[in-house]
Amino acid sequence: MGMRKYILRRMVGVIVVFFIILTALFILFRLAPGDPVSRMVDPSLTPEDAAYLIDQLGLNQPLGIQYIYYLKNVFTGFMGISFHYGQPVTEIILDRLPNTIYLFTTSVILSALLGIFMGKIAAWHRETKIDSVMTIVALFCHTLFLPWLALIMIWFFGYRVGWFPLSGMISPEVWVTPGTSSIIKFLDVLHHMALPLLTLMIIHYGSYLLIMRSSMLDTLNEDYIITARAKGLDEKSIRDHHAAPNAALPLVTSVGLSLAFSINGGALTETVFTWPGIGRELVFAVSSNDYPLAQACFLLIAGVVLMANLVVDVMYAYLDPRIRY
Amino acid sequence: MINRQGEHHLPVPQWAVLGFCLLLAFTIASCRQFDASDYLRIGLIAEPKTLHVWLASDRNSRKILSLIYQPLYTRDPVTLEQVPWLAADKPVYDPENISYTIKLRPARWSDGSEVTSDDVAFTGQLIKSFKIPRRYSRWKFIKKIATPDKRTVVFYLKSPQAIFTTRTLTTPIVPRKQWQPIAEAARKKEKPLAALLNHPIYHPLGCGPFVLKEWRQGTYLHLRKNPYFFGSHTKIAGRVLGPYINDLLFKIYGTSDVAILALKKGTIDMFWWPLQPGYIKDLSKDPHIQLFINQKSALYFMGFNLRRPPFNDVKLRQALATIIDKKFITHRILQGQGVPMYSIVPAENRFWCCDTVARYGDGLSRENRIKKAYKILTGAGYTWDVPPVDSDGNVGPARGLRLPDGNLMDRFTILTPPADYDPLRAMSGMMIQQWFRAMGMPAYARPMAFGALLNKIKTEHDFDTFILGYGNLSLDPDYVRVFFYSKNDKPRGWNMSGYHNSDFDKIARASRSAMIPTERQKLIYRMQELVIAAVPYLPLYKPSVIEAVRNERFTGWVNMLEGIGNIWSFCEVKPVTAD
Repeated sequence: MGMRKYILRRMVGVIVVFFIILTALFILFRLAPGDPVSRMVDPSLTPEDAAYLIDQLGLNQPLGIQYIYYLKNVFTGFMGISFHYGQPVTEIILDRLPNTIYLFTTSVILSALLGIFMGKIAAWHRETKIDSVMTIVALFCHTLFLPWLALIMIWFFGYRVGWFPLSGMISPEVWVTPGTSSIIKFLDVLHHMALPLLTLMIIHYGSYLLIMRSSMLDTLNEDYIITARAKGLDEKSIRDHHAAPNAALPLVTSVGLSLAFSINGGALTETVFTWPGIGRELVFAVSSNDYPLAQACFLLIAGVVLMANLVVDVMYAYLDPRIRY
Repeated sequence: MINRQGEHHLPVPQWAVLGFCLLLAFTIASCRQFDASDYLRIGLIAEPKTLHVWLASDRNSRKILSLIYQPLYTRDPVTLEQVPWLAADKPVYDPENISYTIKLRPARWSDGSEVTSDDVAFTGQLIKSFKIPRRYSRWKFIKKIATPDKRTVVFYLKSPQAIFTTRTLTTPIVPRKQWQPIAEAARKKEKPLAALLNHPIYHPLGCGPFVLKEWRQGTYLHLRKNPYFFGSHTKIAGRVLGPYINDLLFKIYGTSDVAILALKKGTIDMFWWPLQPGYIKDLSKDPHIQLFINQKSALYFMGFNLRRPPFNDVKLRQALATIIDKKFITHRILQGQGVPMYSIVPAENRFWCCDTVARYGDGLSRENRIKKAYKILTGAGYTWDVPPVDSDGNVGPARGLRLPDGNLMDRFTILTPPADYDPLRAMSGMMIQQWFRAMGMPAYARPMAFGALLNKIKTEHDFDTFILGYGNLSLDPDYVRVFFYSKNDKPRGWNMSGYHNSDFDKIARASRSAMIPTERQKLIYRMQELVIAAVPYLPLYKPSVIEAVRNERFTGWVNMLEGIGNIWSFCEVKPVTAD
């Protein structure tokens, strides 16, 4: 099978899965307990008045009609209007999405770099104290409960030491002061980003370290490493130039998918740090039966994850030609 | 990256780490020089969702909007009596025409244009013509609104309505100049109401003490003093109003824990959200933090499903009411920060609360409660495999309660919100479960997601018992009628227990049109007595509102029912240095 055919086949698969997710989301939200009508309609009204309001709010359509509107909205890019914000859902998502991407994409990249770097060191010093300490610390960090760690970080670095803001993405005091330069505003965002970023890195770097270490240990037993040694290359060069880049290959999938999942943010991280991203909106939308907003958030996540899967598969096919044949 | 020896490295070089540290240090230093010391900084637990006054349903949006849009009347913080606000004087009732005449005080919108009677009439017409949710039921009985001059409004009612002054006249007034174009455009749409509610409002035009300066969604909201506020330097309800602060800065905190840290650190001056009693000890130690504890117009109660056995038996409900020790709940679960409730109307609502209602088991010891409940149940034909009171009068654990028909009582559930939504109600459910079990009843407390819980109780009526609460009850007692009126026993209706009593309905109808307060008071009292005797709801407790502010920069918070976050506070708080 040629590369083009392989990509085409995978794309058809992605479209089918996306359609299944689309339908499943619609059904799941309608099955979920809760009643958006109760929030909107005053029960002391007469049945006629209540019926008028329900009709006006579009909450009385049969499921089939709702599904058709839903499909139409998805394919026209208009995902409806949020029940609570009264704003188009796409506007809300476009407003929050960049914030999530700043934080979570940065955290994935930095965690991966740190994990690769430390995994390489741990594998190189295998069965020594360095390896044991690094592995245990990585495992410990990986199993930490994120909200707990986040609160500890806020308490220590934000409150006790006072190096970082307690939460949020910006300091309103900085932004409302007239004449504040863009560079200061940019630094303010960085300042706020530091603590959640550090928390996410502590939680996530461990998994990359463990994958890298394991992969590196396998690589170090490969023939080309023995050849490199036989050629008289120094150890550092063998480690960094020959072993590490090859060992990092399995991380492509892991980092690729993590990058894709990073757009859903992290409901817990965003809530504790009050980071105005998609994760927090998703939680609000689900808990308040804001169907249009919740559906749009989930669809966005599903779409990006499916695309990331496709990209990772294609990249793998390029990197390892055996995969597509 | 290749070094001089030709080695290849993966990233993370030392200069990058050094650069990062320097950037961080510079960032921290740069951001610390900003100090908006004349801003009153307020923490909110969640972001306001909208500044559209007719769409807003969340508490934080309503808090912000209450500082922008103003009603004709509001409540005095001390007496809780209705006092003229945007109105100049009390409404004048004409029983012959069933009309109310109201004079407006001189006022301006935040753009400097005049607030006129036409704006008031327009607001009413807008609500009526669009049937605006949550407002329409308070305006639909108005026949006509006349504006004889620009400061006089006359409301003609279809029939006498007791809630007119307390509910209708406390509606926020909007300017015709901003809303008329929106309304006209909405009317042309297929779904006018949806078009009206979904119209974006980025710059609300109000006549309150503050105006919107900037809203950066997801991060902060900035309100600035309204130079045209009608209350400035004016005496209303014996208080000379400001506002004395120029800017309010609302910051969002995702959790109470972080907001409390922000308050302790001085990042905010006030946290506008009730605190759990557990914070009191810690916050009391800080000399810069002042705590306020106020009562709440609230009702937390246990409800029974009267539509099906065994809870359709009033004797069983009365016995259960006897077993529940409300003082124990307020002492142990509310940690003393709350009071037991006996009637549907909170005791602080002095004029309307009937204090002669039945107080089941009040003042009795645990043993005596069980004995009394045992007596009620045996008298109604209930039996036990192992009774809670033996032949010598000793109290012990009971087993196998049998209904009057001889069948064992089926397992039943006490639905409560989950602990993360409201730990007080969830824990109360657990405690009540244990008391019921001691009587041989197979009770199971079941915390449930709030949306699902409401759906089961309000829409499907599929429940045995539940614990719910109203955290912000109106001071007008019309809800006593609404909660128990037979016609409101319908899906999504307020009569969740399914209480039916024709005597009650008759009094309830009379209460709605009783225009003389003392007459209406008698009817409301009687309604409370009937309800408490039948126990469709058993009032449990009412938590206090605990709030905290920093005291070194601002002072002058006004205590009121519901706490210090009220319009009076924001009109009276001033910088400490200005004293």
